[in-house]
Amino acid sequence: MLDFAESLVRGVGQTVSITACAFLIGAVLGFPLALLRRSRNVLVRWGAALVIDTVRSIPPIVVVFLVFYSVGSGAVRLGTFQAAVIGLGAISAAYLAEIYRAGIESVASGQWEAANALALPSRKMYVHVILPQALLVAIPPAATFAIGLLKDSAVASVIGAQDITFFAFQESQATLQGLTIFLVAAVLYIALSLPVAGLARWSDHALSKRVAT
Amino acid sequence: MPVTTTALLELRDICVSYKHHQVVHNVDLTVDRGEVVALIGPSGAGKSSLLRSINFLEEPNQGQVLLAGQRVGVLDRRGRAVPANRRQLAEHRRHVGMVFQSFNLFPHLSALENVILAQVHGLGRSRSAARERARQELEHVGLSDKSNMRPASCSGGQQQRIAIARALAMDPMLMLFDEPTSALDPELGIEVLNTMRRLADEGMTMVVVTHEMHFAEEVADRVVFMADGRIVEQGPASEVMNNPRHERTQRFLSAVKNR
Ligand SMILES: Nc1ncnc2c1ncn2[C@@H]1O[C@H](COP(=O)(O)OP(=O)(O)O)[C@@H](O)[C@H]1O
Ligand SMILES: [Mg+2]
Repeated sequence: MLDFAESLVRGVGQTVSITACAFLIGAVLGFPLALLRRSRNVLVRWGAALVIDTVRSIPPIVVVFLVFYSVGSGAVRLGTFQAAVIGLGAISAAYLAEIYRAGIESVASGQWEAANALALPSRKMYVHVILPQALLVAIPPAATFAIGLLKDSAVASVIGAQDITFFAFQESQATLQGLTIFLVAAVLYIALSLPVAGLARWSDHALSKRVAT
Repeated sequence: MPVTTTALLELRDICVSYKHHQVVHNVDLTVDRGEVVALIGPSGAGKSSLLRSINFLEEPNQGQVLLAGQRVGVLDRRGRAVPANRRQLAEHRRHVGMVFQSFNLFPHLSALENVILAQVHGLGRSRSAARERARQELEHVGLSDKSNMRPASCSGGQQQRIAIARALAMDPMLMLFDEPTSALDPELGIEVLNTMRRLADEGMTMVVVTHEMHFAEEVADRVVFMADGRIVEQGPASEVMNNPRHERTQRFLSAVKNR
């Protein structure tokens, strides 16, 4: 069992970096997408909604394959890692855009009014008044999403990225001890998700403290 | 032609609608420099809507707002009136302070930072000048000791005074109050009313929507009674409060006094 653990741990680096990179891409791209989703222009709003809903309705494994075979087979050769990160990054952007949007819309109307009445320019209003409150609201669902993403990152193994699931599959083929091996894989995934879950709990707590005036 | 009037604020023919529901009907109102006007009337009369149209939190769909003789909220481009952009509205709003029923302090910032923020990012003051000014304004409302507190750790009355300090730090020409004490227990409301009373004594021009009839009678120079989106009656405070001429005003005042 320790042998299996040792073997599977080799995949932790890929699992974590695929998840982290995809999440980072999503966290950055999700923001402009959320703002487009709130645009005053109906067409822009609908366009953003279409992109978000489309990406969200395709299974991650299909998205990753699409990226791998389309972008990856063109002029630029994409490695399995890059293909997985791009595919999962696009999915993350779509989900996080909606999470950001919900966070922004949760900020009380009085906050917008006070910022406007105080003549704060739009960008300053977002940076100093709206986003600090919106992000706090967004952290718990974003952390929940990150845990889901960590699990979804296993799809990278089907295009050959050497993550936890990849090594688990390889070991199980070689040793026929599938149950033990995949139990070890499960434990690894749980261990990795614990800190993220902790963050979610902590921010939830901080939030409830602030709301209770 | 030079501006000869002492009017600081002039509302002409203001109409406010939500969707197709008109709630303020062709209101004219002039407020002189240093004058304190109390806006009273039953709930739903359109008092808040009228007040909020002054700083364009609700954009009036008809009429003109003039502050210090300057028309605001529209830009005359080759003689045609087009709605003002955000920057032009901000230019207007920095001269008009507003205090809300629900305080609307920024919950993630300390009292001091609440007062500093718009000075730095709206007026472009240096941080040190803004901090110094914020200290003065908090002292002015008697809350120096709360500087580093978050709003949530302050009482409602303290929060509202911080909100007043936040507005005053912007050097407004005019202060708008929308039922500033309605969310407060009476004893906490009194601290806020006392702060406002002092502000009035110092010569600030104020428009106050209020249900505090004592405050209206004692502090306001003029009382304006609104019902159904229109000004029904206005005049010197003692006159309107004690000898209302209109039947609608009489009904409202006796209902309030018998409460
Ligand atoms: N944001 C809004 N959307 C739609 N209707 C509104 C809105 N704000 C106020 N109203 C309506 O406008 C009318 C006047 O409201 P308001 O100006 O708040 O009156 P008051 O402050 O005198 O109680 C009411 O009928 C109210 O329901
Ligand atoms: Mg009101």
